[in-house]
Amino acid sequence: MTAAPARHIRARGGLHGALHRSKAFRGYALLSPALVVLFVGVVVPFLILLMMSFWTRQGFDFDTTMTTLNYARAVDEPIFGTFLLRSFWVSGIATVATVLLCYPMAYYVAFHVHRNKMLWIILITLPFWTSYLLRVFAWRVILGYEGVINASLLSMGFIEKPLAFLLYSQTAVIITLAHAWAAFAILPLYVSLEKIDRSLLEAAADLGDGPVRRFLRVTLPLSLPGVIAATFLIFIPTTGDYITPALLGGPDGAMIGNLIQLQFGAVNNWPMGAALSIILTLWIAAIALVFVFLTRRAERVVA
Amino acid sequence: MDITDNLAAVRRKKLSRRAFNRTLLSAGVGMVATPLIGTRQVVAQETEQGTIFTWGGYDVGELYTSYEAANGALPNFAIFGGTEEALTKMRGGFTPDIAHPCNAGLKRWVDTGMFQPIDTSRLSNWGDVIPELVAMDGNDAGDGQPWLAPFDWGGTSITYRTDLFELEEEESWDMLWDKRYAGQLGSLASGGDAWWCGAIKAGVPFGEIATDEAFEKISAAMREQRPLIRVYTDDTTTLEQALSSGEMAAAMTWNSSAVALASEGIPVRFARPKEGALTWVCGLMVHKDAPNLDKAYEIIDSLLSVEAGKFMINDYGYGHSNAKSFDQFDAQTLVGLGLSKDPGDILSAGHFMIPQSQEWETRMNETFEMIKAGF
Repeated sequence: MTAAPARHIRARGGLHGALHRSKAFRGYALLSPALVVLFVGVVVPFLILLMMSFWTRQGFDFDTTMTTLNYARAVDEPIFGTFLLRSFWVSGIATVATVLLCYPMAYYVAFHVHRNKMLWIILITLPFWTSYLLRVFAWRVILGYEGVINASLLSMGFIEKPLAFLLYSQTAVIITLAHAWAAFAILPLYVSLEKIDRSLLEAAADLGDGPVRRFLRVTLPLSLPGVIAATFLIFIPTTGDYITPALLGGPDGAMIGNLIQLQFGAVNNWPMGAALSIILTLWIAAIALVFVFLTRRAERVVA
Repeated sequence: MDITDNLAAVRRKKLSRRAFNRTLLSAGVGMVATPLIGTRQVVAQETEQGTIFTWGGYDVGELYTSYEAANGALPNFAIFGGTEEALTKMRGGFTPDIAHPCNAGLKRWVDTGMFQPIDTSRLSNWGDVIPELVAMDGNDAGDGQPWLAPFDWGGTSITYRTDLFELEEEESWDMLWDKRYAGQLGSLASGGDAWWCGAIKAGVPFGEIATDEAFEKISAAMREQRPLIRVYTDDTTTLEQALSSGEMAAAMTWNSSAVALASEGIPVRFARPKEGALTWVCGLMVHKDAPNLDKAYEIIDSLLSVEAGKFMINDYGYGHSNAKSFDQFDAQTLVGLGLSKDPGDILSAGHFMIPQSQEWETRMNETFEMIKAGF
């Protein structure tokens, strides 16, 4: 008679008790939907990709004996290195251009707008409410042979023939990437600029710093976290970008993303595509680490 | 179950931690479950009609008049832009009722083992189909049944602006290799067209296209052409717009681009190169596990009808497989479109693609992609 209720209580104590007693367990339980999505959507595909990159193609099927042949090819054949370098070059320039162009905007909103700041932020991100693809297509209209730029230059008499290099070139890809990812630079820059303690600026002015020195010695170093975040947010996704070079790049503007797509498409070599994806991931990770290391050093020097 | 007003509880600052956790949990479960609920509804809707897996441009009502009359709706469309893409999607488990391959890929489509022979007795328009088109290599599935019911055919050639492109002699494939127009030439991106045209230009007979020597010759021709090309694209609209604005003076296209541009009053011609154009035939194949087999045959029959043929010839400038479709037009109109009352004329004058193996296709694509990338 007495044993049954006792067992009942102990059973309740097991799961329920753990849920209430252990903070960590409760945290993971709350996180579980996100963790499941992360595991199924990121970890598992990545493992499949890693596995596949060591296979080889055999007709329409895969030869599943493990080999590093794909990686050897990626090192030996110049096409892969060239595309990788070109991708880093294009997306590096696009990143620098985006951050340089967005910094003044974020600065203005953070320091010189005092009312309706939210409205300003919304207005700045307004173009990004349309899809990425539409924005890329819009740039085709702007840069095209009969596009906005060529038409206005023609009508003002600056040129006699439309400028052909505007579209289907690396320039076109860089311009489009710099615009298409601007929102991802403005927001982190704004947040880090907004956080800066205004009394520090006053102190700098009181101690005799002019506007330029004040910016270089106070504002810029304190906003560096935002600059770093923006750089990462843009550089990482644009390196592997596929659709912009596909639509605007022309024969010489293709990037590593297009090469990877080809492996999964026309060339039909999925293991090679998987190997290239892994290589790209590793390269980006390495570049990111170096960048973090350099900025840490720089911060220490500034401080 | 009690329904509690959590929002009001938040406002009154009386939401318990437990209730908050419960809300979070239900939101999580709801989010995970949403895609499941969504897809089931979509699938239920799609199975009501037959599904055709086809190239862009064939998803128009005019081609399915008899099907629409019988079923009150158009078939479902799934679109592909190239053979590899289509085969990859189908190998991944996509099961349409009908697919729309072309003759150069016929063997590969058949080899996938995903198709069944066509029971021609179920097609009311079969008797009018041009026999030469049925009798292509590799189309015999035994018992007099074909794998593929031919539907459309046409040419790949050069569409050029008569006012911008100055012909040196007669029309020829050399036009797309003309250095005077560097940066003003366009090409289809798919090797399924471009590589074969390269073979014609390089003087490689199609029967020898699989040899190493052929690969060398064609590669050399493609490498020579690459710096002259403004853009390689599979999007015909891009080529048509470029030709219409004068950005390009000549481009490799199918018949339909020339017809579309001419109907807008742009001075273009679809060249008849002296070396011969590239001729292709596409048709319909039935999936072996077609979920709606009856609807599949209705779709084929409606595509083979004279109404569909009239639309194909008039609006797209393509040939049709139904011989009677050509009776709707006078000889003058047909010649203007680059067709003929006797389709055999055109077919024998052009270079007919020969079905190739998967190995060839892969090697060709790999080589051509390298060349396009500049290697």
